[in-house]
Amino acid sequence: MADAALSDIRVLDLAGEVGVYATKLLADLGADVIRIEPPDGDPARNVGPFYHDEPSPARSLYFFNLNTSKRGITLDITKPEGRAIFERLAATADVVVETFHPGFLDGMGLGYDGLAKIKPDMILTSVTGFGQDGPHAQYRWSDIVGVAMSGMMTLAGDKADPPNMPYGQQGYIGAGIQAAAGTMMALVHRDNTGEGQHVDVSMQEALSINQETAMQTFDMTKAIRTRTGARGLLPIDIPGIGVYDCSDGQVFAYLGTPGGAPWTAMLAWMTSQGLAEDLNEPPYADTIGQLNMRFLTGLIQLAADPPKLQEMLKTLAHIYEVFARFCKSMSKWTLYEEGQRQRLMFGIVSTPEDLVRNPQLTYRNWLQDVRHDELDATLRYAGPPYRLSETPWAIRRRAPLPGEHNVEVYVDELGLSPQELDALRARGVV
Amino acid sequence: MSAFGTQGQPLSGINVADFSWFGAGPICAENLATFGATVVRVESEAHLDGLRGVAPFPPGKTGYNVSGYFNNYNAGKLDLTLNLGTARGKQLAEKLIAWADIFLTNFTPRIIERWGLLYDELVKLRPDIIAVYQPMQGYDGPHRDFMGFGAVLSPITGYNELCGFPNRPPMGLGTNYPDYVINPGHTLVAILAALRHRKKTGRGQRIELAQIESSVAPLAPALMDCTVNGRVETRAGNRLPHAAPHGAFRCKDNEWNGQPEDRWCAIAVFDDAQWRALVEAMGSPAWADDARFASLPGRKQHEDEIEAKITEWTREHAAEEVMALLQASGVPAGVVANARDMLEDEHLKARRYYVYLDHPEAGRTAYDGPPFRLSKTPGVLRSPAPLLGQHNELVCKEILGMTDDEIAEALIEQALY
Repeated sequence: MADAALSDIRVLDLAGEVGVYATKLLADLGADVIRIEPPDGDPARNVGPFYHDEPSPARSLYFFNLNTSKRGITLDITKPEGRAIFERLAATADVVVETFHPGFLDGMGLGYDGLAKIKPDMILTSVTGFGQDGPHAQYRWSDIVGVAMSGMMTLAGDKADPPNMPYGQQGYIGAGIQAAAGTMMALVHRDNTGEGQHVDVSMQEALSINQETAMQTFDMTKAIRTRTGARGLLPIDIPGIGVYDCSDGQVFAYLGTPGGAPWTAMLAWMTSQGLAEDLNEPPYADTIGQLNMRFLTGLIQLAADPPKLQEMLKTLAHIYEVFARFCKSMSKWTLYEEGQRQRLMFGIVSTPEDLVRNPQLTYRNWLQDVRHDELDATLRYAGPPYRLSETPWAIRRRAPLPGEHNVEVYVDELGLSPQELDALRARGVV
Repeated sequence: MSAFGTQGQPLSGINVADFSWFGAGPICAENLATFGATVVRVESEAHLDGLRGVAPFPPGKTGYNVSGYFNNYNAGKLDLTLNLGTARGKQLAEKLIAWADIFLTNFTPRIIERWGLLYDELVKLRPDIIAVYQPMQGYDGPHRDFMGFGAVLSPITGYNELCGFPNRPPMGLGTNYPDYVINPGHTLVAILAALRHRKKTGRGQRIELAQIESSVAPLAPALMDCTVNGRVETRAGNRLPHAAPHGAFRCKDNEWNGQPEDRWCAIAVFDDAQWRALVEAMGSPAWADDARFASLPGRKQHEDEIEAKITEWTREHAAEEVMALLQASGVPAGVVANARDMLEDEHLKARRYYVYLDHPEAGRTAYDGPPFRLSKTPGVLRSPAPLLGQHNELVCKEILGMTDDEIAEALIEQALY
């Protein structure tokens, strides 16, 4: 495609789960990504969810999503014949992305030095749990091991529970994003100088910045940030902050933030709905008039006057309860959309269904329909993470079936004869 | 421009006008600086980056220049204060944009319109500019002007509903999660794609990364489970459908500052060989020699029981011991690290991941290093985060070509503010 940013780039994709989001990003920007699966198929094909809940390597929605816009071949690179074919393919490629344990490809002569002999300006991107060197380089990883050892998991959850793992293999996603960026950075350098190089991505390092302020907090003050549950860093329930139940789900509120409408606007809305109860009376109305971020700081000063503090906490608790009742009587979409129109900071706690029907995403035609002829179905996919005006993101084809492009790649492009391909198949190389 | 330019890096010679604030924009621009770009961070005392006022601060230090939160996202940048509410400030912004290869902002569409910084206006100043916008919701659509930042973005984009244990409210990940890797990282990929396209064709372009879209994209499997199968997934704790045991297991408590500290180790068993290795590492306890646990379906069925039994073992050992034992047996396992673990981690030290920089006001503090390593052009954090307006004179003279008199005028007109 002429309009693709990476239409001149061929990527050999040997990546397991920790790197495969990277090659999806490259493929959806137009690179010719050839996914190389072992002859018995990519293990990720066995990860759900599955089309119509029928577990099958040809029905994994998880695999489908991560392999859009790619072509697919099968090849056992550990067999001598397979390795020879890989070398021929590598000579035509710009980038190899791999996720083997450090040293594995080197042991086969296919590490960076080996590949650079085949293709001097090759870019090799290695994505692993802990990077190519250091005392933990050979440690085994999985998604949860990466998020645990990146410092982000300790921040998530309730103190009464184990630290929470983020949903959706976020360790692999984060490593994949950094790997795509690192690969692109190396491509930019190659465009400038003709020089290839080795890109080393450690999932642990890729995710470290997700610690938010925890790392700097320890560095500067030796205090350890840990998980603090639903209340976050607040010592008490503050009216209008946090998660609230609605008639049909939940919203997250953050009222009184700079730039938004004040709590009095919230009270006016509750009053207009006949749901303000006694909040327009003293002492509630006065307190609501002052309820903003600065108010919280004032609360700390009140600690010097325990009776006054107790009174204030009682007042706040009542406002909280009335506000919670108001939320409970409304739908989550009403609170979110009506609240935002009044510049009250509400965020809907979206379920996947809410995302699918989100009016903003719908207006922007974000979800993408992709045809799967062999399923006789059109599946609805997540849409673009970014929109580039000149070189748009696009799902260029559905994920490959196992070995779908073997003939196209081996015979039409590499010049093997159909008989040679058959023989490789018979020997389990392809 | 030799005073601050780089040579031989992937982005040497690339100029960036960084009109962003908070997390998603500044982190992306920092990465551009790390790999050689000259980045001018534009700020104003009229609308300070909120992070400058947020903890942590070094003990005994206050002010706009010492926040560890802000500083970690702004290393390697030059800092210019410009008041876009003044005519001269606007004029200087235009000169800076004419200099820039990349313009980046995550201000709201309403403000960008007010400031006249839409793409159509920028191309008049710099025809091949790569103009990057990171609105919350996008520049069109019914929710265009909805307010938001990371704390609200996480619930809106589905992370709160999907992360955590099902018996708890949808509290999210304890951070403004999409701000730190998902959104800045996606933006960096898009910018580098645009740079390649410009190199090939001479043409710039407009990039829009609506933070809602960028943040939801990684949740694609849950969306497809809904659009294809009609299932509405929700929180499932630390378990995975295709692994067991899988989660964080409580280990022996530690003591820190005289207080007990709970310690945990993540353990992930995907197949029977890993299960057998785990059992052996635990000393082959009798309970584990049970046909019900021999295969994944059985382990899934009895996962509560298995988790309780494993915890009896892990409680007897330090988290580091559990990790080392299991890793030596080939089972994926890792300490649920806190920030102390991260900064003191031998492995990260050996790889020199965290970088210590001497900041004129904050002192010597740690920064996250480059998020990926390039063997021939490793990224470098060239300088600590800038003080507010630290490089006003340098930028005015060397980039904007102003004379001392012009700078004085700009100061009097409160344009450099």
